[in-house]
Amino acid sequence: MASSASSIDTSSARIKPGVAPLRAGQGYSFVLRRLHSLSGIVPIGAFLIEHFISNSEATKGVQAYNDQVKFLTNLPFVHVLEWVFIFLPLLYHGIYGLYIWYKGDSNVGEYPWMGNWLYTSQRWTGIIAFIYIAYHVIDLRFLGVHLMGGGYQNAFSKVWFDFQSPWVIAFYVIGIVAASWHFAYGVWLFAAKWGFTTGDNARRKFGYVCVALAIMLIGIGLWTITGFVQTPASQVPYVEHD
Amino acid sequence: MANSKSVILKIKRQQTPESKPYWEEFELSYRPGMNVTSALMDIAAKPVTRQGKPTTPVTYDSNCLEEICGSCAMLINGQAKMACSALIANLKQPITLEPFTKFPIIRDLAVDRSVLFENLKRVKAWVPVDGTYDLGCGPRQSSEMQEEAYPLSNCISCTCCMEACPQFNDKTGFVGAATIAQVRLFNSHPTGSALKKERLKALMGDGGIQECGYAQNCVEICPKELPLTKSIAAVGGQVMWQAIKDLFRT
Repeated sequence: MASSASSIDTSSARIKPGVAPLRAGQGYSFVLRRLHSLSGIVPIGAFLIEHFISNSEATKGVQAYNDQVKFLTNLPFVHVLEWVFIFLPLLYHGIYGLYIWYKGDSNVGEYPWMGNWLYTSQRWTGIIAFIYIAYHVIDLRFLGVHLMGGGYQNAFSKVWFDFQSPWVIAFYVIGIVAASWHFAYGVWLFAAKWGFTTGDNARRKFGYVCVALAIMLIGIGLWTITGFVQTPASQVPYVEHD
Repeated sequence: MANSKSVILKIKRQQTPESKPYWEEFELSYRPGMNVTSALMDIAAKPVTRQGKPTTPVTYDSNCLEEICGSCAMLINGQAKMACSALIANLKQPITLEPFTKFPIIRDLAVDRSVLFENLKRVKAWVPVDGTYDLGCGPRQSSEMQEEAYPLSNCISCTCCMEACPQFNDKTGFVGAATIAQVRLFNSHPTGSALKKERLKALMGDGGIQECGYAQNCVEICPKELPLTKSIAAVGGQVMWQAIKDLFRT
């Protein structure tokens, strides 16, 4: 108890305990964090590339797009594949990613350097992509007309009707840019943290490769959107909407 | 001839580890070659605030005055720097001095940075040569190895890399770049590598190398220009190999 005669103001007394030293041999954060990093490359990143390539069939017209959806929805064990290789890794990567964000203290105000901005942007693009993907999956996979089990002929129309709203198109553009950037920088981070690009030169050069990857993905994504937007209503079969 | 140029310093002060911080302003006359440590010495010689109020000398750590002991690190104009090598002529005025924010405050600008020593002990950052008899000469190191090792041996334990790191905080308990660089140094040493596995396994613990977010502030801020991001990548690879070996070969 502080004496009332004390000249020191202890009204807001707060002893900072300081950062704990390394807990050698304790905990599972190493495995969880490396699994988070790996899950962003495979399966999520691999699926992202497949998804962008498959969707670009939309630029070839309604039939080509629906045929691609037919192929994918008819894969053997398709429900196991989508849960094991898409939904569960996405949930893990997204939720553990939020935990990683919570634990870090971004300080670009004090240290406004490129690496630090990229660190911060990886967190913001992550949350934007996570919100966008949640909307995208719920809207197209779980709501409205079902594309699984023979509903593939409605695939193009389902997306096309969504794109009648400019807000939806804008959200898709933002989502595509955020996811592409997050993935490309994630690949760069993976190479650095797992010890593939140890040298400064290697990291810089691989940085150019990853920027090219981001631009390529964004390009494919935007091109795919134009495939839907430029298709006239007369070519699009009508789909009942819930 | 008296130099009419004056130096304004705003210093964040704190009487005890528990008490509330407050700011004091000081005005000094400029001398050529003046640095932050010599400015603090001037204040100690005449501890009077800019408002003319007598006060106590500012507490701060310093020793070598030539950026080699690592003791005088503090926030200078908001960034982690060594006070001895921070020339007043290169700083924007008023110059703000604050203690590091991620270490317990002892008083004023002096903080307790013993967490780094504790971390170095936990990764066994030494060459194990203690014994009851003379072990003789160690293996010869090539000049290529020496060139890799020497920059890493320049670490002065100032903790600037930890202060500037967005991941070094209470929530992660991250070990920080300095310790990881020392793991690389001692793992590369022919005799020191005897403890390589123990060091790598230590870095897999909570607060280990996985907490690095690769913001790269460490390598930007390091006053001794250690190759810290290169070290984190290299040790990250060593730790991954160790983890893979542990998983498949034990």
